[in-house]
Amino acid sequence: MNKLPTLKRPGLPGWLILSGSVLLVLVCLFPFWWMVLSSVKTLRELYTVPPIWWPAAPTWENYRTVLFDSNIPRYFLNSIIISVGSTGLALVLAIFASYGFARFNFKGKPLLQSFVLVGQLLPTAAIIVPLFVTLRVLNLVNTYWGLILVYMIITLPLSVWMLTSYFKNIPVELEEAAIIDGASRLECLFRITLPLSLPGLASVMVYAFVTTWNEFIFALCFATDSSVKTLPIGLAEFSTEFNTDWGAVMAASVVMTLPIAILFLSMQRLFVGGLTAGATKG
Amino acid sequence: MASVTINNVRKSYGELEVLHGVSIDIADGEFVVLVGPSGCGKSTLLRMLAGLEDISGGEIAIGDRVVNGLQPKERDIAMVFQSYALYPHMTVEKNMGFSLKLARAPKEETRDRVAKVAAMLNLSDYLDRYPRQLSGGQRQRVAMGRAMVRNPEVFLFDEPLSNLDAKLRVQMRSEIKQNHHRLKTTTVYVTHDQIEAMTMADKIVVMHGGIVEQVGSPLDLYDNPANLFVAGFIGSPAMNVIGGKIRGGGFVGEDGTRIALPFAATDFEERNVTLGIRPEHLLLDAKGHAAEIITVEPTGAETQVLLRLAGHEIVGVFRDRILHKPGETLHVSLIPERIQLFDGKSGQRIDFREAA
Ligand SMILES: Nc1ncnc2c1ncn2[C@@H]1O[C@H](COP(=O)(O)OP(=O)(O)OP(=O)(O)O)[C@@H](O)[C@H]1O
Ligand SMILES: [Mg+2]
Repeated sequence: MNKLPTLKRPGLPGWLILSGSVLLVLVCLFPFWWMVLSSVKTLRELYTVPPIWWPAAPTWENYRTVLFDSNIPRYFLNSIIISVGSTGLALVLAIFASYGFARFNFKGKPLLQSFVLVGQLLPTAAIIVPLFVTLRVLNLVNTYWGLILVYMIITLPLSVWMLTSYFKNIPVELEEAAIIDGASRLECLFRITLPLSLPGLASVMVYAFVTTWNEFIFALCFATDSSVKTLPIGLAEFSTEFNTDWGAVMAASVVMTLPIAILFLSMQRLFVGGLTAGATKG
Repeated sequence: MASVTINNVRKSYGELEVLHGVSIDIADGEFVVLVGPSGCGKSTLLRMLAGLEDISGGEIAIGDRVVNGLQPKERDIAMVFQSYALYPHMTVEKNMGFSLKLARAPKEETRDRVAKVAAMLNLSDYLDRYPRQLSGGQRQRVAMGRAMVRNPEVFLFDEPLSNLDAKLRVQMRSEIKQNHHRLKTTTVYVTHDQIEAMTMADKIVVMHGGIVEQVGSPLDLYDNPANLFVAGFIGSPAMNVIGGKIRGGGFVGEDGTRIALPFAATDFEERNVTLGIRPEHLLLDAKGHAAEIITVEPTGAETQVLLRLAGHEIVGVFRDRILHKPGETLHVSLIPERIQLFDGKSGQRIDFREAA
């Protein structure tokens, strides 16, 4: 089948490239490795100096603490509900907004488009109070909907921007052909444009999900009840005034990292892109 | 099948008018080719027929329905795009059946019709492939098949062959023609290639700068071009033109060369005119005009010679083998009956035979 065109390899020797790549990967992965390692160490081993590289007796004790003696499972559920909810909402709204921006010409489009980005430019500290006041008036403090809406607001601008440029790169003729074949605008969107935008949709999904999954400040302010607290807050709760249960923090971190890792691995195939090959020209 | 009537159609993009009142009548089952140089508005007109562009003025009717306000899908047309515009995420079969699927036709009927058209286009073996797994010619055929499956009133083609190599283009040209003979569907075909226009059309519409220069059968346009533009555009190599005056009933070139006309054009005494003569209407003639040879290009069957005559470079095509070298002199004469005269200012053809 037709392979992607590749550039000729630069003149660097193979071993140099290989060892460079290995080094880079090691540096990037080291924190994760340390996290996993620490999560199976005993408390004593955690504080040993110099640090030990392999625990004598790996223990599941930290995971037991996290899973059965803490609020982490509940927070995990909260995080899932809030992240999935806000990602889904942002994705749906971004699809329609971006399609409009990408395919139609209307008065004030450039202004509106730059307005979308302005939201992104405001510093967190500047919008946190107005948002809190708004949520309180709407009775949404300490609710799932409160955080879902807030997260949607912060992820929507960039999502719209990303999707707009993705849609613009899909040849208009494909939609024109579909229109001539008898498709309505919505059918064009759902049967032609969206299937061809899967890589773009995947990027937006991953971006929105990771952003909301890791968000701390808004969660800290708008979700003070343990029924809606999210995982980042949960991690912080292991630190008390006097000590921090690092083992539990590390185990909880592993738990928190898993969904992101799974998300990335499942989407990886889509990021490769190149879905419109063969659409146009000979 | 249906006739198409285009009546004084205009198109503006904001202030800029690109079609200045175009009128064309297309009979039921006719194969009409819109031809013209780049930017003359062919695609725009076709897209207005399809319903992809708004009509700024005038009227388009398909059959006896005015379609100005109708959506593309209500117009019963099918279009083949220059870039094919195949849906890359669908197999050939899905691509061809897409319109029927949208129309919620029964599955078996869709399959049957796709299979029938695929067989007609030699695509039966490729139904499960994706567009990226096809060659340019196969993609072209799928694009055509997608249009044929719907059995529309009118086929629209926008330069469907321009992405193919020369040999494939000739082959697809005759395939499109054959399909037209079989289906007899009214067809509007856009191209900027005058050979495609000559070989395929029942009727050619020559466009230029947003207006129609001439409408007629291929040979009619070739033999009786309405003006210098059509004369230069239709035919390859192009018609030779020589500027001059009418004097003493004959033509006198700018450098004083006298060329005999078939009739005494005495009514036009001293009028500035342009003389046109097709390359194949120059004859080797020992008593003719002396012309300097610039280049000689034998193509086997015939020889093309670039000559300097009456101060102009003109091309002659001769069946005889010409063994002269550049710089030598060739004696040629113009077949008087084949000479065309065009007004020096407007470029319109002067029908001096009638006038004389
Ligand atoms: N969206 C547009 N806005 C402004 N002008 C346009 C637009 N589309 C086309 N034009 C202009 O309209 C004229 C006709 O364009 P059109 O595409 O119909 O030319 P064409 O005859 O198909 O040429 P080609 O052989 O190059 O395809 C051109 O001068 C072009 O610049
Ligand atoms: Mg065009």
